[in-house]
Amino acid sequence: MSHATAHEFKLPPTLISRVDVSRLGREVESVDNELESQKVRSQAKGEKKVDYHMPATSQALSDFLELNTVDMTKGQERAKLKHDLAVFKDKAPIIHMTFASQADSESLQKLVAWIRAEIHPQALISVGLQPALVGGVYIRTPNKVFDFSLKQHLHDKRSIIVNQLEGLLRG
Amino acid sequence: MFSKKKDDKPKKTVQDEATSIVDQAVEESAHIFNDEFREELRNRGRLRFEKAINENSMFLKQDLEMTVSQLNDHLKNGITQKLDAELQAYASALKDAQELALQSLQRTATGIEEQRAKLTDSMTQFAAEREQLLLKVYEDNMAKIVEHYILEALGDQFDVKAQLPFIISQMEANKKQIMEDMRL
Repeated sequence: MSHATAHEFKLPPTLISRVDVSRLGREVESVDNELESQKVRSQAKGEKKVDYHMPATSQALSDFLELNTVDMTKGQERAKLKHDLAVFKDKAPIIHMTFASQADSESLQKLVAWIRAEIHPQALISVGLQPALVGGVYIRTPNKVFDFSLKQHLHDKRSIIVNQLEGLLRG
Repeated sequence: MFSKKKDDKPKKTVQDEATSIVDQAVEESAHIFNDEFREELRNRGRLRFEKAINENSMFLKQDLEMTVSQLNDHLKNGITQKLDAELQAYASALKDAQELALQSLQRTATGIEEQRAKLTDSMTQFAAEREQLLLKVYEDNMAKIVEHYILEALGDQFDVKAQLPFIISQMEANKKQIMEDMRL
């Protein structure tokens, strides 16, 4: 049974950004090399059946392989996975999210989980840092911008201050 | 004085007699009009002449004084009339000048009053506009100051974890737009 294609990938919450996808691709490449080495060594010994020993993998790769039911011991699946990951890295929809402070991994995982559940199942996020935002988030999609920052929120609510001041001036 | 001596001389002609009379008269006159008599006559004449001169001089003086007096009066009257006329003309000109100056002052005062009214209106309007502008600038700046204060005061005190509910709620509110843009 073949695993999901690039358009059908199920992404674990630990796979957050395109960098993570690249890292995943390199790790898959590394695993593939390792398994190919095991295969060559096994064939050199004259063994009929190769007894693959899966190298230690990252949590992200483990989760990804589990979610997408990829059998890494099969050379064709590994090759297809490498290809699909390369395609996915370039085609995956990305949401740019800029925060006022450094976002922790747990928060990003929660966010990306919500985005994949509500917006797009294969969305990746690109994280930026802009302290001037004070709080909230500045989101940029392919064609739109959504400023949910505290700075913008304060700016939008400036009329409250003005109205209060006018009230004070008028006694 | 003219007595005849018949006995001392023969009978003569009428012509001789006349000549004789004349000679006698000449002789007698020479006798009568001697130096003393002449001097006396001269003195008398001198005195009379002096008297006449004095009288005439006095008359002349009186006439002259009278003439001078009349001339003075005439001159006085003339000068007075001339002065009166000049003074009247001067007064008239002065009055005209005063009226002109008064009219000019009135026009100037009217102009100044109009300018003052315009300036007052302009200043009032300018002050009102300026007040509104300052108020607006004040309000804007005050809002900016308050906003800046809040931003500076909060700084990076908010971590993303604490903001997650807010962020997700905002994204939830705009989910439809984000989804549509992601599908494009």
